[in-house]
Amino acid sequence: MKIKKMLALVLAVIMVVSLAACGGSAGGDAANATSIAVCLASEPDTIDPALNSAVDGATLLIHLFSGLAKWAQKDDGTLEIVPDAAKELVEGVENEDGTVTYTYTLRDGLKWSDGQDVTAGDFEFAWQRAASLELAADYGYMFEVVDGYADIVDVDDDGNAKNPDAKLNVKAVDDKTLEVTLANAVPYWNELLAFPVYFPVREDVVSDDGWATDPATYVCNGMYKLDSWDHNSLITLTKNADHPDAAEVTMDTINFYLSDDANNQLSNFKNGEWLLIDDVPTNEIASIKAEYPDEFFNVGQIGTYYVCWNVNEDILPEGSDLEGAEAETAKAEIRKAVSLLLDRNYIVDEIAQGGQLPASSFVAMGLTDADGSEFYKNTGFSSDFDGYFNTSADALESNFDSAIETLKKYYDYDEAEGKFTNFPTMTYLYNTSEGHKAIGEYIQSALANVGITMNMENQEWATFLNTRKAGDYSIARNGWLADYNDPICFLDMWTTASGNNDVQYGKGDHESVAAYSLDLTDLGYDTKVENGTWAETYDVLISDIKSCTDNDTRYKLMHKAEDMLMDTGCLTPIYYYTDLYMLSKTVKGFFSNPLGYKYFMYTTVEA
Amino acid sequence: MNSKTLLYIVKRVLLALFTVWVVITITFFVMHAVPGGPFVGEKATTPAVQAAMEAKYGLDKPPLEQYGTYLKDIVTKFDFGPSLKQRGRMVIDIIADGMKTSMKLGLIAAGVAALIGIVLGAVAALRRNKLIDRVIMVITTAFVSMPSFIIGALLLALFSVQLRWLPANGSTAAGLVLPIITLALYPMAYITRLTRSSMLDVLGQDYIRTAKAKGVSGARIIFGHALKNSLIPVLTYLGPMLAYIVTGSLVVEQIFAVPGIGRQFVSSITNRDYPMIMGTTIILAALIVIMNLVTDILYKVVDPRITLE
Repeated sequence: MKIKKMLALVLAVIMVVSLAACGGSAGGDAANATSIAVCLASEPDTIDPALNSAVDGATLLIHLFSGLAKWAQKDDGTLEIVPDAAKELVEGVENEDGTVTYTYTLRDGLKWSDGQDVTAGDFEFAWQRAASLELAADYGYMFEVVDGYADIVDVDDDGNAKNPDAKLNVKAVDDKTLEVTLANAVPYWNELLAFPVYFPVREDVVSDDGWATDPATYVCNGMYKLDSWDHNSLITLTKNADHPDAAEVTMDTINFYLSDDANNQLSNFKNGEWLLIDDVPTNEIASIKAEYPDEFFNVGQIGTYYVCWNVNEDILPEGSDLEGAEAETAKAEIRKAVSLLLDRNYIVDEIAQGGQLPASSFVAMGLTDADGSEFYKNTGFSSDFDGYFNTSADALESNFDSAIETLKKYYDYDEAEGKFTNFPTMTYLYNTSEGHKAIGEYIQSALANVGITMNMENQEWATFLNTRKAGDYSIARNGWLADYNDPICFLDMWTTASGNNDVQYGKGDHESVAAYSLDLTDLGYDTKVENGTWAETYDVLISDIKSCTDNDTRYKLMHKAEDMLMDTGCLTPIYYYTDLYMLSKTVKGFFSNPLGYKYFMYTTVEA
Repeated sequence: MNSKTLLYIVKRVLLALFTVWVVITITFFVMHAVPGGPFVGEKATTPAVQAAMEAKYGLDKPPLEQYGTYLKDIVTKFDFGPSLKQRGRMVIDIIADGMKTSMKLGLIAAGVAALIGIVLGAVAALRRNKLIDRVIMVITTAFVSMPSFIIGALLLALFSVQLRWLPANGSTAAGLVLPIITLALYPMAYITRLTRSSMLDVLGQDYIRTAKAKGVSGARIIFGHALKNSLIPVLTYLGPMLAYIVTGSLVVEQIFAVPGIGRQFVSSITNRDYPMIMGTTIILAALIVIMNLVTDILYKVVDPRITLE
């Protein structure tokens, strides 16, 4: 009797629970095809266009704002940069001092979401603000190409700005005309104009520090308005019917759900609630590919996963009498040989499993050369393969043999065991993550196979960044994603003074190592250095690239820079990144760009 | 309330404030001692920008001075400062947002756990060694030993992905049902077992036997004497459990994408968002201290034999 009562109680509870469920989840997105529910990541740090430095934030911003230019998809599926708020993307006019001035006219009918007109002054204000030290935005350096930026960030030894009144050379001639002057012409200027940090904001709106956290104060000028923001849970954008391009916008409402858990995202995709998810659990990729062959995507992303070596780490055998430039040349040869011991196909197919491609260069796949061809295919020294070494499975054995031959020159080799006996023990530093650990363990076993001992050390993310920047490691996991389609993104980070110079080029002992040569006379420059230091060669080369106005020469210089980098052996490319996401078959009209931004405005959802 | 009790409460409140101060101090200095900072990212900013940021948030000052300013702002203005990561938002707002959800979730889960737990525990004790007792014990043992990430994942796979009865994210009311169940199962099972053993203990006491001998009705013995007296250990557990459960469970929030305070707490540490770390730690510490105090005072209410000193 009692048991029956208990059972009845339990049943009653279950019924109440399921009733509650019906009340909440019914309706929603499946029934209403003019809205789409997606999940990119957790709560964005900010959706202030000037402060954002994240890909998920950028995806929100391209829906909320119209900059001078935007990415668009052509009929054949390829992407191009087209005018947005500007009537056209004009050519620059070169001034006598070598600077280049662009004069843009704003198109008619552009309004802020509160009804006011968008003016050229809003652009001027937004750009000055984004580049200012007062705002101290992560992506302030994206204005580096604009005349005046160098003065803004010029600091004395105490870190105080030398020119507190410095401004960008940009001004609104009238409400419709914006004039901007670049230090010198750069080929990726139009692409920068489509970058969120270049979007306009209005002075009276952003004077409130919290303006970008609340829909009530969020004033934007794009195809969508910020309808609601339930922090850490859901951001809803609704179509702005007053936008000049509103007729092209097919999706009325976009619900961006906020979750940082890949498994949770997958559950919501599987039960049909979310139609796009931007994160996929690594250990389920194999089964997802089998289960959802038409809904799992991996598209190219311009970035490289690599291993970096501390240039100052002594890897020569104990008792080696090599010194200075000779030692550095030997170390470079050793590092390049160790790189050839790795089977990158195994790493991408068995460990990473995300459709990544084995990398044989540092400048990533997807970046284009002067003639529009792939930059990485034009690198290296052999026409038999792309990049600096052959990553194909056929070349595995010959790579291995040549690596062993090279290493034998420096280390004792036990022929019977097939192992080196006096290679110093190294430590591999990586940030805590299953994926990074698995790749580290593979490298560890590949090296152990030839008698090289490599220990593993993991650190939590912020600590790891600190250690790696300080050069307090021997080898470390690393990765780099480009901000725009130009190889310079991958090259200027390795100058001596760069904050991203994890390898420590030109620092510490390496500062005085004169092992590098640079000859630019064939390209019309006077520069010819033999046995120079890093600062005398690489740093000079990068500054030449930055001031070069001839496109072909500029690309040739960039190839030389990458040749120099790869020749040090300090960068061991592993694979080129891909962007993984799942997209429901019911969604049409979706596209994403190489920076990982996702475009939902032109989508439709089939019921 | 007599003066002795009042004095005790005042003493305890002062002690509580001292505890919170110790927590603030330790957290503050340990946090600054950990390598890395809030403005360190994969892509380095220029030194000028880095310096401007640090000056803006006062991080360029010596730690002792920062500590002083921080304490002063909290005491005089209850100002926890701005988040360094979620630019434009104040720590207190972020915490309030997260606490709203976590509180709702936690209070319902705690209520459900206490109610069902006490009933099941009492039933098991009264039907000791009968089938129902055995069933209850087996089930509660299972729930006590199963970690929440397993229970959560199982519930999600069954009710969300397979049956599609409930959403898999906590952005709607219906989405909170599964996280509440996941949160409630462990304390419910634990309370059941506590109630059962405590009830068995009480049922063996002389005064119960006396009551029975005097012919007092079964219901009156259970509800008037046994249950009330067997709840003391449950109370001890309820206080800290409540504090723990309403301050958010990272695991449950993660699995179900619930916008609670637990996720904020953990991400603030990885981000080195100093004011967020301080804010969440202080709130968490204060809640636990308060709940302990309330529990101690409740003892007295339930059992007059306990003196508060």
